[in-house]
Amino acid sequence: MGHVDFVDATRLAAVPIKATRQEATMHFSIFRYNPERDEKPYMQDFHVDLEPTERMLLDAILRIRDFQDDSLTLRKSCREGVCGSDAININGRNGLACITPVRELKEPVELRPLPSFPVIRDLVVDMTQFFKQYHSIKPYLINDEPAPEKERLQSPEDRDKLDGSYECILCACCTSQCPSSWWNPDKFVGPAGLLQAYRFISDSRDRATQERLDDLHDPYRLFRCRTIMNCTEVCPKGLSPSRAIERIRLKMLKVEDDHGGLGIHRVPAIR
Amino acid sequence: MRKTFTGLRAWLIQRVSAVYMLLFIVFILAHFVGDPPHSYAAWNGWMMGSSVSMATAVFFAALLAHAWVGVRDVIMDYVHPVAFRVWALALLGIGLTAMGVWVMWILWMRHG
Repeated sequence: MGHVDFVDATRLAAVPIKATRQEATMHFSIFRYNPERDEKPYMQDFHVDLEPTERMLLDAILRIRDFQDDSLTLRKSCREGVCGSDAININGRNGLACITPVRELKEPVELRPLPSFPVIRDLVVDMTQFFKQYHSIKPYLINDEPAPEKERLQSPEDRDKLDGSYECILCACCTSQCPSSWWNPDKFVGPAGLLQAYRFISDSRDRATQERLDDLHDPYRLFRCRTIMNCTEVCPKGLSPSRAIERIRLKMLKVEDDHGGLGIHRVPAIR
Repeated sequence: MRKTFTGLRAWLIQRVSAVYMLLFIVFILAHFVGDPPHSYAAWNGWMMGSSVSMATAVFFAALLAHAWVGVRDVIMDYVHPVAFRVWALALLGIGLTAMGVWVMWILWMRHG
């Protein structure tokens, strides 16, 4: 039998928690806009006493909504960085509220909706254009060959080529922070859409590679990218849309590559 | 947008011209540091030699093409009304062409 340490919950509760930053009041400044009531958007201040268990920014926002102002509007779902619903601008930088440690943030913590997207209310933005661009790259496998009895197989090496692009959760942190998307959101596909374009261009089971490349071969859809690389820097999943864009350009030039996947980088902490 | 404006070609022109300009600048700097000309006549003679003047002409062609793509991109990003954009691109084209003619005149006609 292995040795097991049980934690005595009653004893834990009796130990007074030391007054650390964990108990400190944190100061938030949150973008508010209700189009039915407000003429203009404004920033509203909130002071929150965080419980020790409330470690992420989303916990703090929910505490504000539940205890201070229930009209505060935001999107959230999985609360663990998988669904991409709670992408917001945190101290000037896009990120997911649910995986951003709240105590590391500089105060006052400024929270705004994703830049350049039309605001619906408070922190909720209209993502119609974003998903329109995403759908424009045909984000599905195109293969007219007769389907095999079980499934379309792929070698492990070919599967590795999808690493770093299939993990995208479409939170729009990248596209919303991309200046090329700011100037031409209707014509430039944007980093999220182009990362997905690369995901299908590099898929060995897809048969529409050339059509996909031709579709991006105009001055706007791909080539508005000025390699600013904000997309790669802010991606909360550590993906590199800018590298995907570079690979698409090389494919257009028929430069053969055996690079494998795009790779995943460390995500810089938001301060 | 017409096909002559294809993004890939413009992007490629910008990359290739940048590489050529970099090599040319390194070559010119290396020459002036390693073997500086002692007089205007010596400099002029070297500069006007057929291979150097040809390389210089290609440098300016690369510079003008690079500038065309770069400024065209800025105009496409920021100038959205079609009428303004056509004027801006026309002005840019005329200006760059004039500079190209001027460079050719300096390199070949003046001493021709």
